[in-house]
Amino acid sequence: MDSLIPFTTSGSLVDCVDRKMLVVLRDGRKLQGVLRSYDQFANLVLEDTVERIYHQDVFAERKNGLYLIRGENVVLLGEVDLDQEDDVPLRQVEWDVLYPYHRQDIADKKQRDETKAQVLFEKRGFCKEGGEGDGY
Amino acid sequence: MLPLSLLNAAQNKPMLVELKNGETFNGHLVNCDNFMNITLREVYQTNAEGDKFWKLKECYIRGSTIKYLRVPDTLLDAVKEEQNRAREAGRSARGAHVSGPGGRGRGPPQRGGRGGVRGGPIRGGRGRGRGM
Repeated sequence: MDSLIPFTTSGSLVDCVDRKMLVVLRDGRKLQGVLRSYDQFANLVLEDTVERIYHQDVFAERKNGLYLIRGENVVLLGEVDLDQEDDVPLRQVEWDVLYPYHRQDIADKKQRDETKAQVLFEKRGFCKEGGEGDGY
Repeated sequence: MLPLSLLNAAQNKPMLVELKNGETFNGHLVNCDNFMNITLREVYQTNAEGDKFWKLKECYIRGSTIKYLRVPDTLLDAVKEEQNRAREAGRSARGAHVSGPGGRGRGPPQRGGRGGVRGGPIRGGRGRGRGM
């Protein structure tokens, strides 16, 4: 990184502009697109965005175009290595085929988390979680 | 092109707004501000599960409740073109009325344009990112 630019959010994102980036949102969604712009809140502009869903060793994607993401909702921003992105041992299938499985995965996870929280609350003296329910 | 300038440039364009709670709003942008508060017209609202729909003539959305906005793909190109036009116009206007140095800003780089000591590092100080 250019040493003239201090290590701030804005400073460290300069090098990511015009690169293909993976963005994970608080709701668990995974988006891949080219980062075109950002600001001090990490609001992001992503071009040619695809949303990806996964289930076991299968994935599906859907083209969603141009996004303007409000920074608050971003959990993670990482560069996609174009040389290696095709080497992952995953099989691509149609979105409509995978989507029901994906929905089920989300529902299962929600159920599991609720059960866990309930047990921790009742038997282990933990407090109740904040209420937004997404662990962030 | 900062994210919020892009939003400004999207006025009267169709867009999809998803809130943090998962509800979505499809409509044309009427206005927006620097908090990302927006007003839309001719809106279709859907609930988080996507199984209920409402039609609204107009609606106001508080910026802090927004998760993301999806805007037309063509918007980026349109904005870039608009910026270029503005730059050209500014250049020819300056060229006609002002001669000599003084008009700092856009246009061919002049010495000492932004930050840095003369003869210092070639790269300018904290700028606006790359090529946007």
